[in-house]
Parts: sequence; C-alpha cells; structure tokens
Amino acid sequence: MGRYIIKKLLISIPVMFGIMLTTFFLLNVIPGDPIALMMKDHISVDVVARVRAQMHLDDPVFIRFFRFLGGALHGDFGISYKLNRPVSYLLATAFPNTLALALSAALVSWIIGIPAGILSAVKRYSLVDNFFMGFSVLGVSMPVFWTGLLFQYIFSLKLHLLPVAGFKGPLYLIMPAIVLGWSSAGTIARLTRSSLLEVMRNDYIRTARAKGLREIAVVVRHALKNSMLPVVTVMALQVSGLLSGAVITESVFGIPGVGRIAVNAIQNRDMPLLQGSVVLTTFLVIIGNLTADIVYSWLDPRIRYGNPEGKK
Amino acid sequence: MMTIAKTRLGVALALVLAAGTAFAANDYVKIAFTSDPGTADSQLTTDWYAIPLNIYDRLVEAQTTKPGVSELVPGLAEKWTPSADGLTYTFNLRKGVKFSNGETFKADDVLFTFDRMLNPATKALNTDFLDMIAGASDRMAGKADSVSGIKVVDDYTIKITLAKPFAPFIANLATPAGSIYNRKATLAAGDQFGIDPKKTVGTGAFTLESWVVNDNIQLKANPSYFRGKPTLGGIDIKISPDANTQRMQFENGELDVLDLDNATSQIPYFLGDAKWKSQIASGPRVGIYYYALNESIKPLDNVNIRKALQMAIDRKTILDKLYNGRGALENGIFPKGLLGNNPKLPVIPYDPKKAKDMIAKAGFPDGFDMEIAQVTDSPSTLKINEAVQAMLAEVGVRVKITQMDSASYFATRKEGKLPAYESSWSADYNDPDNFIYTFFSEKNTVARSYNYGNKDVFAKLESTRTMTDQAKRMSIYQALEKTIVQDDAAWIPLFSLEHLFVLQPRVKNFKVSWNGWSDMPYFGITLTK
Amino acid sequence: MSDLTLGPEVAQTLPEPVWKEIVAAFARNRLAVVGLGILLIVAFVALAAPLLAPYDPYKVKLGEQFLNPSWNHPIGTDMFGRDVFSRILYGTRISLLIGLVPTLISMTIGVILGLVSGYFGRRVDFLIMMLADMVLSFPSLLLAMIVMYTLGASLLNIFIALSAVGWAGTARVVRAQTLALKNKEFIEASRAIGTKDIAIMLKHILPNCLPQLLVLFTLNIPDSILSEASLSFLGIGAQPPAASWGLMVAGGREFLFNAPWVAIAPGIAILITVLAFNFLGDGLRDALDPYLKS
Repeated sequence: MGRYIIKKLLISIPVMFGIMLTTFFLLNVIPGDPIALMMKDHISVDVVARVRAQMHLDDPVFIRFFRFLGGALHGDFGISYKLNRPVSYLLATAFPNTLALALSAALVSWIIGIPAGILSAVKRYSLVDNFFMGFSVLGVSMPVFWTGLLFQYIFSLKLHLLPVAGFKGPLYLIMPAIVLGWSSAGTIARLTRSSLLEVMRNDYIRTARAKGLREIAVVVRHALKNSMLPVVTVMALQVSGLLSGAVITESVFGIPGVGRIAVNAIQNRDMPLLQGSVVLTTFLVIIGNLTADIVYSWLDPRIRYGNPEGKK
Repeated sequence: MMTIAKTRLGVALALVLAAGTAFAANDYVKIAFTSDPGTADSQLTTDWYAIPLNIYDRLVEAQTTKPGVSELVPGLAEKWTPSADGLTYTFNLRKGVKFSNGETFKADDVLFTFDRMLNPATKALNTDFLDMIAGASDRMAGKADSVSGIKVVDDYTIKITLAKPFAPFIANLATPAGSIYNRKATLAAGDQFGIDPKKTVGTGAFTLESWVVNDNIQLKANPSYFRGKPTLGGIDIKISPDANTQRMQFENGELDVLDLDNATSQIPYFLGDAKWKSQIASGPRVGIYYYALNESIKPLDNVNIRKALQMAIDRKTILDKLYNGRGALENGIFPKGLLGNNPKLPVIPYDPKKAKDMIAKAGFPDGFDMEIAQVTDSPSTLKINEAVQAMLAEVGVRVKITQMDSASYFATRKEGKLPAYESSWSADYNDPDNFIYTFFSEKNTVARSYNYGNKDVFAKLESTRTMTDQAKRMSIYQALEKTIVQDDAAWIPLFSLEHLFVLQPRVKNFKVSWNGWSDMPYFGITLTK
Repeated sequence: MSDLTLGPEVAQTLPEPVWKEIVAAFARNRLAVVGLGILLIVAFVALAAPLLAPYDPYKVKLGEQFLNPSWNHPIGTDMFGRDVFSRILYGTRISLLIGLVPTLISMTIGVILGLVSGYFGRRVDFLIMMLADMVLSFPSLLLAMIVMYTLGASLLNIFIALSAVGWAGTARVVRAQTLALKNKEFIEASRAIGTKDIAIMLKHILPNCLPQLLVLFTLNIPDSILSEASLSFLGIGAQPPAASWGLMVAGGREFLFNAPWVAIAPGIAILITVLAFNFLGDGLRDALDPYLKS
C-alpha cells in the first residue's frame, strides 16, 4: 500500500511537469502581450518595449519556462503581472474560498444524489425512481451559469432571501453551493443506483430477502454498506469536476476563488499566476485520485495494489 | 430525531442569516468594479484610476464647471506660472497639506514622485504623461540618476523645465498619472506601495482601508483632508465581473451606484422603469466611438473604399436602436466637449447606394470580404459589430467578425496587424492633442493598427504640439482633423455617448466627472440616512 | 470468470448481447423511452429547420428588437430583432454538431489509444496513460479554455478543444477492457494462428467494448453541449452570427429582466436535449448492464 502511494506520487511529478510545460507553451505560441494588455488603449510602443525588457519577457520561451521552474522548485512562483502580488499569497487567500465552495457543493450533491440513487434502485422503474433520478439528472443537464442566473433571479431579486453575489459569510455560499452541487448530484445518484442494484443481485441479499426481511431493511442493513464503496470513491474523484464547475460558479456569484484566478490568469496572459493555479489545481486532483484509491483499498481489502489492473 | 435535526438546521440558518447582514458600514457608498485593479499606484496602471483619483491629489485638478465644460483648478499647487518661451513652469505649492501618514506635503515629494515615474526601476507604464520634461528620456534610458528638468526651489516652490514647449503640459499633470506620493512612505513601502493598504499613502479625500483581492476594496474618509472631511464614511468597492450580476446586485440593494457602462444592455430597462428612470444620473462623455481601418490590409488601402465604408454605416440607426439615442453623431476626431471640437464639420452621409457604386468603381463590382476584430468578452462590442456586419452586407461587403482574447487582440494591434475594429477613446486631458496625436501621429498609428501614411500630417502633428499660440494651434488641429477624416477617411467616426449611472435614492449630489469616465472622484457625494 | 471454456472463435468474456432482452429492459425505463422520443424529435427539427422556421434566423431588424412573444413571433425577438423561435430551430443543428462531432473525434482517438495502450503495454502504455493522466488531472474547462485561447474562437476549434479534453476517459475504459481480454484464450489462439495485431484489436477486442462505448457516447454528447455553453459564457464559444444554444443563452442573459425569453428559451432547449441524452444514456446503461462488466 505504502509503496503504491509512493509510486503514484512519483508518477504525478512528470504529469504535473507535463501540464505546466503544455500550458506554458500553448499560451506562448499565440500573440499575447501582458504589458500591451495592461496598457490597453494607452498603448505606447516605447513603454511596452522597455517594460518587457525589464521583466525579461523577450527571452526565449524555454529560458522563461526553466527560470519559472527553478523558482517553483524553491516554492517561489513569482509575482502576478496583473495583481502585483506574490502568486503564493494570491492562491493561499483564494484557496479557502474555493475549498468552502467545493466542500459545501459536494455535500449538496451527496444530499441530493445518494437518497435519490437509493430510492430509484429500490423502486426501480417506478414513478418514484423516475422522479428522483429525473431531479438529480436535471441538475447535470443545465448550464451552470444559467441555473445560477435563475437562482439569483428567483431567490435574490424576487424573494429577497439571499444576496446576489459576493463572499462575506456563509449566507453567500448557499446559492453557489446548491447550483454547483446539484450539477454533480446526477453523477452521484447514478453511481449509487447502479452499485446498489449490483449488490442487490448478490446471493446474500437474496438470502436476507428469503429470511423474510422487509425490503427497506434489506437495503439499509445489507446492501447499502456494500454499495457505498464506489460512491465514496467517486466523492474523491469529484474534485476535478467541482473545480471545473467552480470556474463558472465563482464568476457568476463573485466568489474570489482559485477558479476565477485561473480564468483571469489565462485571459491576462499572467503566466506566473496561471502556472501557480495549474500546479495547485493539478495537485488537488491528484490528491483526490489518490484518496479515492486509498479509501477504496481500505474499504475493500480484496484490492491488491501492486497489481491494480489484474496484469499477469 | 427528525424534529431535532430540523431545529438544529433552523438555528444554524438563523446564525448564518445574522452573520450575513452584519457587514459594511452604512455610510459607505457601495460601488462595483468589473475586475480587480491590481494596484492603486497610478504609475503602474494606465487603466484603473478610480482608487488613485480618490486617495491622492494632483498639482492641478480638472473640474467640471457645467456639463461638458471643464477647467483646470489648483490642487496641491496653488498657482503655476509658465515662462514666456513655454518651456519652464514654476509651481507654488499649497501649505499645510498632510499625507495620511502625518508627513507634511513639500516640493521634495513632487520631485520624488515624478522622478519615480521616470526611474526605469519603477517599471512605470504611465511615463507618456511626463516624458516631455527635460532630461526625462535620459532618466528613462538609465543614463541619468535624476531628471535634469525638475528643480526644487524651496519647500513650497518647484520648477519644471520641458525639453520642448508642450501646450497641454498642465492638463497632463491633472490626469491620474500626475498623482503625488510621499517620499518617505513610498520608499518605505517598496513594492508594497499601492498594494498594502497601510503602506499606501496619499493626501486624498480617502485612504485605502482594506483590499481583498478579487472581492472587495474599501476606502475610508480622510478626516484631515485639506478640502474638508468627506461627508461619506467611505467607499465600498465590490469586484463583480459579470454585468448581469452587477445589475442584480444593484436591484437587490447591494450596490448604491450602477455604472451603466458596465451593463449597457440594461439601459433601456432603467430608462423605461417607473422606479428607476428618475434615478438616472447622466453626463456627457468627452469621448468618441469609432471604427479603425487598417490601411495595410487590402482593399482598405484604397481611399475610395474607406470613404464608401464611411457612407455604408447607418450611424444614426445604431445610435438610436443600440444606444437609445443618448448621444450625438460625430464627423471628425474631436468630440463634443473637447477643446477644438468643430461643430461645422460636414456631415458624413448615410448613402448605401453611393457606397455600393464607389466600391464597384474601385474594382469590386461583387463587393469584397473584410474582417472586423474584437475581444471575446465584450457583448456590447459584438452587438455593434453584428449590426455593422448586417449593414455592410447591404453594399456587398462580406464581414467576418473575428473574436480574439484581449491579450492576443492588444498584442496584434500593437504590431499594426489588427483588422478593422470598433473602439472608443475618452479624454485623459482636455486638449485635441490627446486624441489626434494618440491615433494619427507617425509613432502611434502603427501601434493602433491604422497604418495611416500621410507624411504631411505627421510633420504637422509634431510641430503643432510645441506651439504656444493657442488659437493658431486649434485652427491647425481643425484643418488636420478635416484632412484625416474627410479627405483621407482614415477612420470612421461614429458618435459620442452620454455616460449613464443609476443611483439608489439615498445617493445625493452625484456628479459625472468632466470627461465622463467611470473612474471618478467621490469627494462631494453624500448619502442620506 | 475463468470458467468460460468455449472454443476460441466463440469465446467471449461477456455473454453475447441478446437484443430482445436489451430492448425489453430499455422499454421498461420510461425516462429512457421519453428521452429517445425527444431526441428523435430534435433530430427531425435539425433536419427540417429550414422548412419549420418562420423567419431567417440571421436577419437583423433593428426596428423589431425585443418584441414580446406573439402569433408572429412565438418566442419573441432578440436584441437584433431576430426571431428567437427560428434561431432555436436552426440552433438545433449547430448544437447537435457541437454534441456529436467532438464526441466522435474524442472517442475515436480514445478507442485507438486505449486499444494500443492496453494491447501493447510497456512503454507505449506508460506514455499514453501519462498523457491521459495529464488531461484528467487538470480541470477540463480550464484546459479547453487554454486550447481555445491558443487556437482562437471558432466552431472548428471548439471541436478540437473539446476533443482534446474528452479522449482520455474513453482511452482508460477501452484500455481496461483490452487488458482484461488480451490474455484470454480466444485471443491467444487467434494470435497463434497468425492473425495480425490490428485485426485482433478490431475484430475481437473492439466488439467487446461496444456496449460500454455506446453508453459513453450517449453520455459524452450532453457533456460537449454543456461545455460549449460554458465556453460561450466565458466569451470563447461558437461565433456569431451562427448561434449555438449556448451562445444564445450567454448572449441573452443580460436581458433576463426585460426580455426573459431571449435567454430562457435556448436554455430550455439545452435542458431538454441534454436531459434526453442523459435519460437515454442511463437507460442504455441499465439495459446493457449485464454486458458492461469485464
């Protein structure tokens, strides 16, 4: 197990390096000048040339990349062109907000998804199944910004229950968490449903049923525990999806999080900031994947980690 | 079980609700920015002036006297005297002004501030506003340790000598780029100046109080401001990137002022709404909307094609239908409200038939293809481009709208390679130089992708800058304007627009600034209880 | 699973799909049937848009902006006086293209790389899976955004961007399936009689992946449609005037208050179509369930 984790972590190093390299080069093959962008309409060719030279922006791409890499290895991601602050500081202040959003959204997705999955598995093909699955899948079927917009319109403007946007306390988190959470509830519901259905085909469930236990007791006492395995795994795998969703949700609801920083960094060709957010988000996803693996093996000792794919 | 859970949930919710409402003092005016300015140091930004305008003062200030008319009034300088040759300016400074760190404002601070701008180590972006000072170019090139043209006479007198006469110099100093810093505080702050609220020191009506990146910036009233304590407790700036979100925040009472430039599509709604239409504050914008034509892209190199394009766009309909008629058509370069504006310029007619003829005569009986570029995230630009696309289709010009992300857009434009594009320019300072030189001088025409090539105009633009006879200068500018727009058809002037804001009823005494910018001083605005 | 001891040519790890049973299982799932029905209608609309649409969807009429829904304009007009109903009908074509094309491209890439990776193993496998890990370790929307910025905003580039982020999931599924199959007796027997690798992959392994690919296919389409909507929200989606639904929602959201139909109607079109694909995919998964496990 320990060896497996170390192996996974080692593999993630080239993965992370590859992502950094790709994003850096992709955004450097196209015209894009952070200084010209900062000056916008007040462009002055002389000023741009002078400041670019001072910031070493005219050096060849790979030299800039390795200079950045050298800093990054020492934990120094440089200073954001646009925001003029250290990248590490910007990410450290933004991360808790994204974390709060992602966790509460995940919670929402479980609250909607797991019961919906259970009900629809137990009452397969019934109206209850249709209703709950339909409701969960509905969340996955709407553009997040559109749902967000409708929520703001209904709950803020019409009902005056919640603030439209901003981030000044838990109250500001309710709508974004529901919007983002609902959008991934469908995945959770599907998974709960299919794994529960699978478990219920097993012999011991049939035995339990044969003993005359009520259906609900069968589900709760026997099936649920075993079917939660893949669901728990998916919770850890949600990280990537939630981060993608956060990009949009944070913009719609004005949350100062990592997603928005990454979007702005791409827009502003703010390479230090972009690289910092790339490293952070990739790291989070890798940690999520690893957690999924660990939880899985912990819950299911049958998995042998030296040989996860069953290779001979 | 269920009921306990419910009660707990209720309590939690109540706590959450209470927590959410306890923010932002009520005497702060709540406004919104579309993105984080990144710095409050006006030497390092050419784009975000709202904070600098409120936390610093300048030697001279531009002030609105009546709508569309402005004049230069004393700021930190009580008076200024130009020499007869127009080269040297002597400033007598105001006494008893304090920076927010308690330091007294002196001539040395002016010297320090201007030298800092031109010091290459600052990496300043706003040097264009001071580079006419004698010795500025040596300082910027790192060949000198100081600017030879700036001399402190005594604590309250400073002399600035220019390399060549430059009539709009004083007007230049009134721009946000002329904001005055304190030597001691700024040196101590180092690279935290303009970033760390405690270390960002000015003499202005407000001081920087807090800054949460991408979220919220607060300015607090400066009780010892030399013009008197502001009636506002402060300014609460929310960073709210989405136009639609801003609009909802405004309607939900989370904003006091909605800048309709950030939500242009909402203008018809607010103009027509019974509750809001009386709450609209508007002011003329000393600015012009235009289409730039890149003469290095065929067939725009042909003057008759450019003239035909000028005639093929129904500017009146665009103004009326897309901008609710809140503005005026422009036929030159200098918009209404700007010194040198010429109301007698011939009107560019809307004549699609003639345009089609001209295009055919120029060798394109079947019309031609052209490209219009714009940035990706600007729905209001897209709107006008789509309208123009439809209008040009009527005369056989097939327009392709190319959306580019802003970094590529500005980089391509800098190279002189951007196709035609729509944009606007509003005055930094009240002088035609700020318009005509910016677009059609030899140095700038490539950087803005016009590739205009009239050498005679280039020469005259350089020589007119250094003239001291104001009346003669204006008449030359007006002649040049006519040559550039009406003879050479170097751009398509569209219109100037009013700048509209919607205010919550509690906002009083709101004045749109002289040039109609979104970035404006908030001193003088009050809130009723 | 090792108790399958049939002859090499018929041996399969999965039972041969019994289409009658699959159809029966599918038919029991009401949502899936409804989904299929909706999609048939959507496909019909896409084909017949020019016949159904009352107006030219691109015709700008500045005098007729924001007309309320009426008999003349069933869903009103937009900010350019264009008929929203006609635009939605035509938008069906573009949105289906945006759903289908990237899914087809990315799944083709995913299938090829997954087969190669699983079948040949070793370094090729390591490299391909590393590449897949890279794609999967980075939030897909950000990656798509970077690709769009690099290539510029256009319909073709949306296809490329969405394919670039979409292939990795398919590759993993196909690889796992290939790994599970490649040492089975019937494959080894086939190899022993000299069948070429490529033929083995296409004839023996790929058919076994089909049920899974079918489900993936149905569920990837709605993902593409939604991703394009998100890209449109960020200003780098489809290019006007050729409006996709995503672009219509993104462009119309400013007018939610005075002309709600401009943003809400295309949003509902997305909702219905995506929901239908999701229901269909779920139904297929359910019906094909016995054939999905390796």
